[in-house]
Amino acid sequence: MTHSFLSHQGFAALVADLLAANKRVIAPVRASDDPGQVDYMPIQKFEEAVFGLRLPRRSLKEFFLPPTEVLLHYRQTKAGIEIREVPTAAPPQVIFGATPCDAAALEVVDKVMGWDYRDELWFGRREATTIVSFLCTLMDSTCFCTAVGLGPESFRGSDVLLVPVDGGYLAHVITPKGEALLQGHTAEASAAALASAETAQSEARKKVENNLADIPAELSGWLAANFDNPLWKTIALRCHGCGACAAVCPTCHCFDIVDEHDSADSGVRRRNWDSCQTSLFTLHASGHNPRQSQSERFRQRIQHKFSIYPSRFGEILCTGCGRCSRACPGGMDLPNLLGEIVTLAQTEPEVSGQ
Amino acid sequence: MNIYQPHLMRIREITDETIDTRTLKLEFEDSAFAEQFQFSAGQFGEYSVFGEGESTFCIASPPTRAGYIECSFKATGKVTQALRRLDVGDTIGFRGPYGNHFPLEEMKGHSIVFIAGGIGLAPVRSVIWNVLDLREQFKDITIIYGARTVADLVYKRELEVWASRSDLKLCLAVDPGGETPDWKGLVARIPTAVEQAVATAEDTFAVICGPPIMIKYTLPVLTKLGFPGERIYTTLENRMKCGLGKCGRCNIGPTYVCKDGPVFTAAQMRDLPQEF
Repeated sequence: MTHSFLSHQGFAALVADLLAANKRVIAPVRASDDPGQVDYMPIQKFEEAVFGLRLPRRSLKEFFLPPTEVLLHYRQTKAGIEIREVPTAAPPQVIFGATPCDAAALEVVDKVMGWDYRDELWFGRREATTIVSFLCTLMDSTCFCTAVGLGPESFRGSDVLLVPVDGGYLAHVITPKGEALLQGHTAEASAAALASAETAQSEARKKVENNLADIPAELSGWLAANFDNPLWKTIALRCHGCGACAAVCPTCHCFDIVDEHDSADSGVRRRNWDSCQTSLFTLHASGHNPRQSQSERFRQRIQHKFSIYPSRFGEILCTGCGRCSRACPGGMDLPNLLGEIVTLAQTEPEVSGQ
Repeated sequence: MNIYQPHLMRIREITDETIDTRTLKLEFEDSAFAEQFQFSAGQFGEYSVFGEGESTFCIASPPTRAGYIECSFKATGKVTQALRRLDVGDTIGFRGPYGNHFPLEEMKGHSIVFIAGGIGLAPVRSVIWNVLDLREQFKDITIIYGARTVADLVYKRELEVWASRSDLKLCLAVDPGGETPDWKGLVARIPTAVEQAVATAEDTFAVICGPPIMIKYTLPVLTKLGFPGERIYTTLENRMKCGLGKCGRCNIGPTYVCKDGPVFTAAQMRDLPQEF
């Protein structure tokens, strides 16, 4: 990793160069339906981007796993079925102003997308994308990135991390992709810029650290052993099963596959976002449903993120972005719930159900 | 390569098993792919009707019969009802084979008791024919198969073939009330049939598949006969979309039916969270 200095003018020129070269550039912009909110969106001009205003409402997930995407086109002919494949290679894109939690989430989800069978649609977009994150200063009371081993200054999943300093940004250049992107736009970082970035980083950490203590490594095993703990009966009482948490979550990746006609003899197969919080998710054709109540469905969400994924892939399926708490119409607050579960795990380490 | 891309298969033969259950014999359109296609008994696939969607079934034919696969399904949901509307010569999509398989190598040299209920015979049938095609490599073969009524028995022509063979023991049963005047098999539920047909667990593997209620009441009978949980194999079903460990819906706690299964031992099932 190297450091360099990117001036405000240099940053604007870098983005303008990319746009002039017809590269797809994504950045936080004011939401079209609510100027007080921010969304990650493709931009046409550098001035559209708003850095450091608010946490984007949705994560970066949609640029890698779109809410809906075509898996194949089919056409029925007299001779049979013709399939038109979709390309797995994606056009290059650069994301500016990613929050470190959103960038890290992509690397977390890489694990399942590459599990034995490589999802080339996901990795095609991953490989075509360069991610420039910003030191996060936008945290609120629902954020808990530090509790899951990340932080507002985390490098994970980013190619470059920019930290605002006097006159521009201190650039942590993390990957060769990041280095190639900044090539020719940066200057040497002064000692003062480095020191000022370091102060900003530790101050940002302090603003989120107290929201939730580090999730202990033992939690994964405790959850697995407490599948039938009475806690699941009460914890989900406020859950409406709407799935908003999964839609805004940067790591929720569950999907459905459906076919759609676009004429009598042709159509597409699509992959759509789905959520384990809905009752149809696991419903068998026979009418049997392994997860019949919301408590079982919410248990799946917590178990998947904090026990199943860690046992399979060695890490928590959550980056502490806090979006599920912000989106929940029932006021379910994940850091609070996690705090309660961790406390229960520490006071009743051996409980394993009825 | 796009892992969600299906291979095209033609329907070569349709057999109606019961009023709502049907078997399709399928051949790959791409002969080069057909040549190199291999699977093991117990594996499953994602079958699709274009414009309707994909559905998950086991491969019901044995890997010892090259050049085609068969699937059996009950017309229940959107895709299976659409599959039922297709004719010989029509094209469907297939992705697979996915998942693990029955341990045929381990079973060689031993006796096997096959126990199936209703359409649960489909995955067991793949193993049965696989074993019968290599008959000399196995010891005693017992097949216990039952359904609610005589009309609900599937693969009836094969049941006749098995009944006529002297190198296996076939025990057919229907639930009380499900018999016809000319029914020659047992009028009993599966656990009772197993008690009557199986004498010993010695040197024997059990393969069981059927409705959850049947498995629930048959496992204690097998245990009483002396079958250790490690020698009882079954195959689980759960709703799936990808079959590849990605779509996130078939897991039972930490166990993915699509990747860790669908074949499990009774011992493994005992350790699973009770959510299936």
